[in-house]
Amino acid sequence: MSALSSPLRAPREAGRSTSLRVGGFSIRVRHRVFVAVAGSFAVLVAVAVWSAATGSTPIGLDRLWAALIHEGTKGDEYIVWTLRLPRLATGLAVGACMGLAGALFQNLTRNALGSPDILGLTQGATSGALVAIIVTGASAEVTTAFAAVGALVTGLFIWTLTRGGDPSGYRLVLIGIGTAAILAGINGYLLTRTSIIDAFRAIYWLTGDLAGRDWKQAATVAIVLGAGTLVIVFLFRGMDALRLGEASATGLGVRVGATRVIALVTASVLTAGAVAVAGPLAFVALAAPHIAARLTGSARSFTCAAICGALIVTAADAVAVAGIAGRQLPTGVVTGVVGGAYLIWLLIAHRKKGVLS
Amino acid sequence: MTDSQSPLIVEDATIGYGRVAISEGLSVDIPEGEFTVILGPNACGKSTLLKALARMLKPTAGQVLLDGRDIHTQPTRAVARRLGLLPQSPIAPDGITVADLVARGRYPHQGILRQWSAEDERVVAEAMAATDITELGARGVDELSGGQRQRVWIAMVLAQQTPLLLLDEPTTFLDITHQIEVLDLCAKLHQEGRTLVAVLHDLNQAARYATHLIAMREGDIVAEGPPAEIVTAAMVDQVFDLPCRIIDDPETGTPLVIPSAGNRGAASRARELEADALVKDLV
Repeated sequence: MSALSSPLRAPREAGRSTSLRVGGFSIRVRHRVFVAVAGSFAVLVAVAVWSAATGSTPIGLDRLWAALIHEGTKGDEYIVWTLRLPRLATGLAVGACMGLAGALFQNLTRNALGSPDILGLTQGATSGALVAIIVTGASAEVTTAFAAVGALVTGLFIWTLTRGGDPSGYRLVLIGIGTAAILAGINGYLLTRTSIIDAFRAIYWLTGDLAGRDWKQAATVAIVLGAGTLVIVFLFRGMDALRLGEASATGLGVRVGATRVIALVTASVLTAGAVAVAGPLAFVALAAPHIAARLTGSARSFTCAAICGALIVTAADAVAVAGIAGRQLPTGVVTGVVGGAYLIWLLIAHRKKGVLS
Repeated sequence: MTDSQSPLIVEDATIGYGRVAISEGLSVDIPEGEFTVILGPNACGKSTLLKALARMLKPTAGQVLLDGRDIHTQPTRAVARRLGLLPQSPIAPDGITVADLVARGRYPHQGILRQWSAEDERVVAEAMAATDITELGARGVDELSGGQRQRVWIAMVLAQQTPLLLLDEPTTFLDITHQIEVLDLCAKLHQEGRTLVAVLHDLNQAARYATHLIAMREGDIVAEGPPAEIVTAAMVDQVFDLPCRIIDDPETGTPLVIPSAGNRGAASRARELEADALVKDLV
C-alpha cells in the first residue's frame, strides 16, 4: 500500500461517555474528547495570554490587564489594542479555519494527506496573490481578494474534475496533487516574470505572516470561521456516516452528493479566508486534525481540530515574534518547520507500525 | 398510494451504470413479509437490481416504488427509516468499536438536537443482543473475525429499525460455518416479521433459506416464486447452464441441487472459468 491510499490509523475510538438529555435535546459526551477539548482550549488561552503579555516589548500580566480594561497607559493600550490583539485574533481565527478545513478534507478524502496544501488550494490562493502582486502591483486588500478567489476557483476546479466518475477520496487526492503541481509551475513562471521588488513581496507573501494584521482582517477571517462552523454543525453527522462508505451512507439516508459538495465548498471557503489574510501558513491544516485525532482518540472531532489549528498558529506566531537572535521571523517559517517536523515524525512512527510503507 | 401488497416494486425499469444498461424493462414485486433471495450467475444483474431497490442506482427509465411512491422523490432519511441496506463492502472507519459502529445505524432517527436519546441507546442494545454481539461492544471492529464483523454490520442495519432489509451478498468472503450463521440470523429476522431481500451466490443455500426466489440471467428475470415450486432441473440449466438433478434436502425438505457428473465437456468448463475470471477482474 502506498502512503496515499492507506489512511493513517486513528487511535481506538471509544472509552467512557456520559449522555446528556434535556427535553428533546440529547447528546453523548465522550470523556476523553471532553478532556482533550477542554485541555487544549486551556493551553490555547494560556499561550494567547502569554503571547499578548510578552511579544517584542514584554509588558507583563498586570499591564496587559490594565490595558485590556482601558486603565493602562496610552502606550500600553496602543500596544495591546492596536498591535497585539488584532494580530492575536487574526492568528486564532486563521488557525481555526485551517484546522477545520484540514479536518473537512481529511474526512472527505478518508486520507491522512487530504489537506489544502496537498490538494492545491493553497497553491491556488498563491496564484491569485501572485497575479495581484505582479500583474496589478496591487495593495494588500486586492491581494487578499485575489488569493481568496484563487483558492475558491481551485476548489471548484477539483470538484468539477471529481464529479463525473467515482468520487472516492483516492481520486480526489490524486486530482488535487495534479492541480497543485500545475499551479506550482504557474506560480514559478509568474515569479520569473516580475521585477526583483515585486518578487520579494511575493516571496514574503508566500511564506505567510501575521505581522501588522488589523481588526478589519481579523473580522474578515472571523466571519468566514463563523459561517464555516455553522455549516459544519449541520454537515457533521452526514460526514460521519460517509466514513462508512458511500453505499452505507446512502442506506442510512445521507444525501451523499450534496454532503460532499457542501463539505468541499466549505473547506475551500475556510482555506480561502485563512490564506488570503495570513498567506499560506505551511502545514497547519495538515497537522491540526492529526493532533486532534491523537488527543481525542477520534478522527471526527472538528472542535478539537479547530482549537489545535488556532494553537499551532498562535504558538508559532509567538515564537516568530521572539525570533532568532532578536530578529523576528515570518510566522509561516515557524509553522513550516514545526509542521514539517511533525509530518516526518508521523510518517516514521507509522512506518514502524507498518501502516504506511 | 396504491393498496398493493408489495412494499417495494420495480416498474418497467432500465437500470445500469452510466450508459451501460444491465437490465431493461425490468419489473419485480418484492412480496411483503417474505425472505426474498435474488440469485443468478455472475454479472446477471442481481446486485444491480438490489442497488436499484436500495435507491443507490436511479433507473434511467421506469421507476422503483416504495410504499407505492417513487423512491427517488421521497426524502432519503424517510426512506432510511423504512428500508435498511447492508452493502457488499461497507467500510469500518479505522479504530471504531463495535458499539460505536452499531450506533451509526441510528442516523436516520437523529438530528442536530437529538444526537443520542434514551431510545437510541435502547435500540442499539437490542440490535446488539439480537445479533449476539453484546459482549463484543468495546472491541475494535478490525479485531473481529469475518463472521463477527458481518453480524456487527447487520446489527447496525437493525438499529435503523426498518421493516425492510436489503442485503447485498451477505455471505460472500465468509467460510461455510459463518455463512450458515449469517443465514440463520437472516431467517430469524424474517420470522420476527421483517421483509428481507438478499443477493446470494449459493443455489442450495438460497433454496433452503428463501421463501421467495428471483432467478436472473443476463439482466432478465427467468423465474420467481417459492423455491419448492420453481427450483427445477430445467430452471437451473436455463439460469446457470448447469445440468443437474434436484432431490429433497434431507435436513429441510427444500430442493437440493446436485450438479450432474461428467457430462460436460472440459472445453466448456474451461471457457466458463475464463469468463468468470474476466468478470471478477471487471468487478
